[in-house]
Amino acid sequence: MEKDANRSTETHPRWVMVVDLDRCTGCQACVVACHAENNLQIVEEQESAYGRWAHWIIVQRYWEGEYPNVKARFMPVMCQQCGEAPCEPVCPVFATYHNQEGLNAQIYNRCIGTRFCASACPYKVRVYNWFDPVFPEPLSEQLNPDVTVRTRGIIEKCTFCIQRILRTEIEAKTEGRKPVDGEIQPACVQTCPPGALVFGDLNDPDSQASQLARSHRSFRLLPELGTDPGVIYLKGGETNV
Amino acid sequence: MTKKLTRRDFLKIATGATVASGLAPVARRIALEPFVQPPEEALPGQATWFASTCRQCPAGCGIVVRTINGRAKKLEGNPLHPLNRGKLCARGQSGLQVLYNPDRLKNAVRQSGGRGSRQFEPLYWPQALDLLEEKITTLASPERLAFLGGLMPDHLYQIASRLLESLGASPPVIFDLHSALEGRAAASRLSELFFGEPQLPVYDLARADVVLSFGANLFETWMSPVAQNVAFGDMRSSASGRGLFVQFEPRLSTTAASADEWVPVRPGAEGLVALAIGRIIIEERLGHVGSHRDHAVMYQDVDVREMSAASQVPVETLRRLAVAFANADHAVSIPGGYLAGQRNGLASMLAVQALNLVVAQVGRVGGVFLSDPGPTASLQNKPAVHNFEEVLGLIERMQAGEVDLLFVYGANPVFELPAASGFAEAITRVPYVISFSPFVDETAVRSDLILPDHVYLESWGYQVPSPGADRPVVSSQQPVVRPLYDTRSTADVLLGLAARLEGPSQALPWADEAAYLEETVSELNGSSLGAYNARTPSGFWALWRQYGGWWSEKEIRREPELTDIRSKPLPVSEPRFDGDPQSYPFILYPYPSVALSDGRGANQPWLQETPDPMSTVQWGAWVEVNPETAQALGLNDNDVVRVESQHGVLEAPVVVYPGIRPDVVAIPVGQGHLDYGRFAQAASGSNPLALLAPLTDADTGGLAWGATRVRLAPAGRKQVLARLESLDGEGRESLD
Repeated sequence: MEKDANRSTETHPRWVMVVDLDRCTGCQACVVACHAENNLQIVEEQESAYGRWAHWIIVQRYWEGEYPNVKARFMPVMCQQCGEAPCEPVCPVFATYHNQEGLNAQIYNRCIGTRFCASACPYKVRVYNWFDPVFPEPLSEQLNPDVTVRTRGIIEKCTFCIQRILRTEIEAKTEGRKPVDGEIQPACVQTCPPGALVFGDLNDPDSQASQLARSHRSFRLLPELGTDPGVIYLKGGETNV
Repeated sequence: MTKKLTRRDFLKIATGATVASGLAPVARRIALEPFVQPPEEALPGQATWFASTCRQCPAGCGIVVRTINGRAKKLEGNPLHPLNRGKLCARGQSGLQVLYNPDRLKNAVRQSGGRGSRQFEPLYWPQALDLLEEKITTLASPERLAFLGGLMPDHLYQIASRLLESLGASPPVIFDLHSALEGRAAASRLSELFFGEPQLPVYDLARADVVLSFGANLFETWMSPVAQNVAFGDMRSSASGRGLFVQFEPRLSTTAASADEWVPVRPGAEGLVALAIGRIIIEERLGHVGSHRDHAVMYQDVDVREMSAASQVPVETLRRLAVAFANADHAVSIPGGYLAGQRNGLASMLAVQALNLVVAQVGRVGGVFLSDPGPTASLQNKPAVHNFEEVLGLIERMQAGEVDLLFVYGANPVFELPAASGFAEAITRVPYVISFSPFVDETAVRSDLILPDHVYLESWGYQVPSPGADRPVVSSQQPVVRPLYDTRSTADVLLGLAARLEGPSQALPWADEAAYLEETVSELNGSSLGAYNARTPSGFWALWRQYGGWWSEKEIRREPELTDIRSKPLPVSEPRFDGDPQSYPFILYPYPSVALSDGRGANQPWLQETPDPMSTVQWGAWVEVNPETAQALGLNDNDVVRVESQHGVLEAPVVVYPGIRPDVVAIPVGQGHLDYGRFAQAASGSNPLALLAPLTDADTGGLAWGATRVRLAPAGRKQVLARLESLDGEGRESLD
C-alpha cells in the first residue's frame, strides 16, 4: 500500500469499510440499524416514490441474465468517504470537509442546502431533508442523544457513525491506549448478521480491514474517477458444479 | 514507572493529610436535593446496557439495549448469546418503534360503542379484573372458554395453560401466520417421523460444503434467520472453500439471490426433485457411504424421468447436483417453509430430509443435528404451534355458538387467517371477546375489551429457542425501561384472575410473574454445563438477568435416533391446487416480507421504509410477474393488476420480476392493514390472505398457503411504487 504523505501519517488512522459481497445476503439489517443509530427522518410513501427517501445505506440489487438463467446480486452502497471527494470542493460554505482521519465530515449548521455536493457525488449517496422531520410522540424517545436531528434544507449522508468512532477513541484515550482493531463498529457493521461489513484503519497494516483490502477480490466503485474511496468491496464468487 | 513508597515518604504524606484535615472547615456533609429525582442507576449522558430477548419473531435472539436516563435508545445483538452472537436482523433492530409507537394503547379499554365502533372508554384495571372474573364465573361450562394465542413467551404459555386446565377449559390454540409461513408445525411433525420427537433440528450451514435448500428462506424469516445468516457468512469463508449453495423454489427469493444456483422448480414439486436426487445417488452408488442397500427401499417407487418431467428440472441438472451432494464431505439438505405450504407438504419434506439420511449426514458436523436441551428441558414444556386444522376446529366451534368467551393473545387472526376461513364472521358469534394486544389491530377492533399487555421491552419472560443453537440455551427477557403506560403484563392479569378463583388459585400460587420466573429458572442453577453458577437462587436470578439468559459453555450436539423411516418407501405425492388451471392459470405465492414478516412489523415506520431486497419497494405491496407473462398480458411496471382467486380479489401494482416462473405470481404478505395504527394504515397494498383457499395438507393439518390458483387482469390504471431502483435510468429525483 502506498501512502500519501499529505493525507495520512502514522499517527492518524484512515477509517475504511470493507464490504464482502460474497457474504452479503441483502437482509437489510444494516439499513434499519443505520436509521436507528443516526436519527434519520421518516419519509412517507409518496415522498419515497419521488425518490426522496432518506437511507444512508442502500442495498442495491442487480439482475443478471434472463429467466431461467437469472441471477441477482446485492451491493450495499453508502458514502464512500472518498480521499479525493468530489463533494468537498463544490460546497460554497465549507459544510462538507475532510477530517484528519480520512472522513468526509459534514457540519450540519453550516449547510445552506445548495445540494451542489449531491449533484457532484458520483455515488448518489447524499440525501436531502425536504421537510422538517416529524416524530409523533413518543417516537422522539427513540432518538440517539449523540446525533443531531437535522432540519429541513440540510444535506446529510453516512458518517461512518462518527459518534461511535469518537466515543470509542475517547474511552480508549482515558485508558491511555489506542482503540484496538475491531473495537470501533459503526451500527451497520455491528449488526451485519453474515459479517459482510468490516470496519478498520487502512493505515494499520495489521488491521483486518487493511488485510482484506489487499485481497485479490478487492475493488472500489468507479475507480476511473480517481476519488480514492474509503469503501472497499470484495467481489462475490461463484461455485459451479 | 512505579515509585517505591519509602518510610520517609509515608510519614510525609501522613503528616500532610493530618494537617490538611485539621485545617478543613468544620462543615456537615449535606447532600443536594434536586427538584426532580433521577433514578439511582441513571447517570446523565451515561449509557447503561440491559440484556433481554427479541420478540419480533419466534426465533428468540438475545439483545442488549442501550438505555440513557431511563429511555431505550438502541438495540443490538447480545454478543454472548450462542444463537445470534451479537447480530440482529432488520426486524430486531426496529424494536424501539414497538416500544415508542405512537399508536399504543395507554390503558385498558372497553369499546363503548360496541364491537368495531373504535370508540374506546378507559377502564381501571381492578374493574377490568372484576369484569374478567364475572365473565369466567358466569360461563355455563368451562368448555365454552377458548384461548387463541400466537407469539407467546414460554412462561406465559405455561401460566395460561395452567389456568385453563384448572378451570377445566381446553388448552390454548397457538397459531400465527409467521409460523404457518415457515411451516413450523409441519417441521415438528417431520421431526417426529424422522427422529421420534417433535424438536426442530438445526441444519449446520456453517460447516457444510454443499447446501441444498428446498424453499427455505434462510436469510429472511425462516426459523432463526440471524443464526442462519451468521452461519452463511462462516460457510462462505470456510477454510475448505466457499461451499455450494443451491436453492430450489419457484421464485428467486432474497435467499436464492445469495445461492450459487437457483433451480425454478414447479410449485409443490420440490419433493419430487429430492426423490429423484436420492434415487440417482442410490442407483449410481454415489458418494462415500459404503452401501446404499439400507436406503434402497425408500426409493423403490421413484422413477427419475417421471420426477424430472413432473418438476420440470432436467435429468442432467438432477444428476449433476446429486453427484455434488453425495461427494461432499459435509452436505445438508433443508426442507423449507414453502414445502409445508403445499397440500403434499409432508411428503415433500420427508423426501428432502431423507437426502440427509442417504448421504449419512444425520448427526454429523455440517449436516443435520438436534440441539441438546440439557437442563432447559424442564422449561421447554410448550408444544410447537398448532396446525391450521385445529384453528379451523376452533372457528367451527365459534360458528356453532359453542364459545361464549374468547381470549386472543399475540395473534391477529382477522388479518392473518385466510379470509375464506370465516374467522371474521365466526368472531361475531362469540358473545364476549377479550384481546390482550398492545395495539388496536384488526382482531382487537372486534373485541369487547382490550387489556393491553406491556410490549416486549417492558416485559418479563424467557424462551427456549426452537430451533436451538449448538448448545443448550434459554433466553431471558426483562424490562429494560419502566412501562410507559398503564398497561399490565398478561401473565400478571392471569395470575391476578387466578387468585380470585378457587381452583386456579391453588394451581397458580405465585404473587406475580417475576416470582414465577425466579422460581422456575432457579432449576438451572448448579448445572455443571452452565457458563455461570451462583451460590444462592437470588444470585442466580441476578446473573440470569445480567447475561440475558443461560447457556452451556461447551458445544453440545445430539445425534438424533432414527425411526424406522428407511424401511418404508417414501411417498410420491403430486401437488394439487385450488381452482381450475383453465380459468385460474397462475399459482399464487404469498411470501413473508423480510421487514414486515406476516404483517406484525407494519406499524413500525423503520420497517415500512426498509426496501424489499429484491423489488426495492418501500411501504407498499405489489404483484411479481415474469417478464414473459407480463408481456403477454400487456402489463408493465407500476400497472395495477386485478388478481382473482375462487375466494377473493385484490388489486396491486405490478413488478416485472425476472426471477419467477411464468406460471407463478408472488405477492408479499404484511400490508393491507385496516387497523393497527397510522403507519400500518398509511402504507398502500393489500393483504393476499384475502385470496387464499382455506386448504390444508392432509398429513400435517398445516395451512396450504401456496396452493391457490389465481387469474390476472389489467385494471387499466397505474400506481407508482416507492422503489429505490430507478426504472427510467435517470436516477433519483426524476419525477414523472
